[in-house]
Amino acid sequence: MTDFWNPYRTLEPAQQRLLGLGSVLVVLLAWTALSASGLLSKNQLPSPWAVAQALAYLGWYEGHSQLAWATLWSVGRVATASALVIVIGIPLGVLMGSSPRINAVVSPLIDPFRSAPVAALLPIMVMWFGIGEFMKIAFLFVGSIVYLTPLVRDAIRAVPEGYLVSAQDIGATSWECIRKVLVPLAMPRIMDAIIVGVSVSWTYITVAEYVNAQEGLGQLIANARRLSATDQVFAGIIVIMAVALLTYQGLMALKRALYKWETKE
Amino acid sequence: MSALPPVAPVPSAAPAKTKPLLAATDVVQEYARADGGTLRVLDRVSLSFEAPSINMLLGASGCGKSTLLRMLGGVRPWNVKTPTSGRIEIGGEPCTGPHPDAVMVFQHYANRPDLTVWQNVMYPFTFSEWKRRVTDKDAKERVDQMLQEVGLADKRDQYPSQLSGGQNQRVALARALVLRPKVLLMDEPFGALDAQTRANMQTLLCKLHAAHPCVVVFVTHDVTEALLVGDRVIVLAGQPAQVIEDFHIPLRQPRSADWLMSAEARQLHEQIVGHLRASGANGNLRVSV
Repeated sequence: MTDFWNPYRTLEPAQQRLLGLGSVLVVLLAWTALSASGLLSKNQLPSPWAVAQALAYLGWYEGHSQLAWATLWSVGRVATASALVIVIGIPLGVLMGSSPRINAVVSPLIDPFRSAPVAALLPIMVMWFGIGEFMKIAFLFVGSIVYLTPLVRDAIRAVPEGYLVSAQDIGATSWECIRKVLVPLAMPRIMDAIIVGVSVSWTYITVAEYVNAQEGLGQLIANARRLSATDQVFAGIIVIMAVALLTYQGLMALKRALYKWETKE
Repeated sequence: MSALPPVAPVPSAAPAKTKPLLAATDVVQEYARADGGTLRVLDRVSLSFEAPSINMLLGASGCGKSTLLRMLGGVRPWNVKTPTSGRIEIGGEPCTGPHPDAVMVFQHYANRPDLTVWQNVMYPFTFSEWKRRVTDKDAKERVDQMLQEVGLADKRDQYPSQLSGGQNQRVALARALVLRPKVLLMDEPFGALDAQTRANMQTLLCKLHAAHPCVVVFVTHDVTEALLVGDRVIVLAGQPAQVIEDFHIPLRQPRSADWLMSAEARQLHEQIVGHLRASGANGNLRVSV
């Protein structure tokens, strides 16, 4: 029984899968039982079967896939916002991590937003940027960059000082210290920051697509809610979770492939 | 048999050179203390070094020998300042920052985990300073040859995490010597290795030094290591630290464990330990064989 409380033990993949699948099954069963019990109305809690049917309907109906189209739009928005966050947030985080002075100037402008209700910024964004595509991307951008940048800064700071000292000893310039020492050694953790940034974008996508969206998973959910099609709301949420999970797994695989040396430690 | 011509008398001492390769003159180092006072770490240390030689800086942990070493090569990260007073000169020129002729080897190797063995030794040549001094072709030849010399040619494509501590220290040593430094500074380089590996590395260092004559300044708190490897042993002790002993060992390296048992070596050993004990460094030095 002591083995049960051993945090360093790695489970057999088969056992891990079995336990994971089991817990999902238990929830599905409870869900089925609850929806069949009649305690909650169909609109409050659709049955798993109804959600599956809604998924099928959204996935393919009369030669048209609402789901594929909506997913494509949402992926496009998340990808655009993430690309901007990466292009702007990483260099900013690297500079903040490399220089305490830059950090002292920039961090008061970024850190408070990590704990601020970013969703509350939506009306302001609508006021400033209108209700078009630009507002949606800007919203996702702000929501995500305030998480990514401090993580990149911390990744740079976590590089052991010894590497910098020995590089300076052989004549590295400040710029070379940043580009050839700090950034390459921080890359695995910067990759973690990217993964967090993209995941945060996925959690905000429904909010971003709430206002005047013609397409997208968030719009699909909002529409279904207006029509009281709770089964479709559930289906939309499941799809968002699945796509976000897929993105996460993909980025993790990319990180492992790019930074093999990190896992070899 | 004809009579040999009379042998010309050899000068008893080499003519005094005007500029030693590496010299510290009246070096004082002080740190600001938290209570506002100053803590003097080194007190008027004057030393000069001629190439080729292996010089052991021996002292108890925390006596200031690493601070002195870092100042000698101009390795000044943010926490080691230039001497509070006094001068350090390399080749007669005052040394005020990282110096191209002086390279440091650290106890914890500083090998890059994301680079292979070959790339780690090639590493200095990826910086503009050394790109300017050495052509890419020359650099690659030097790296290949250096890996042969330290016996890592067959490990060139492995990563540091796949190597033992001794092998990692070989990589660090190769990365320093590939620059053909005039001054090689070593900060307790073998301190983290097990006894057998340490002995192998000491032998390798003597061999490499014979092939690449330079001034080695080697910090250690291991009396045995100092006696086995050094041409010269400099003992630092006290607070603030001063040079309390400075002598040459004429016997060629690598010296055997048998020599350590000789009357001469035992006498040197006891003399050093006695000095260190007298200066209150109990327990902080390694005296094991």
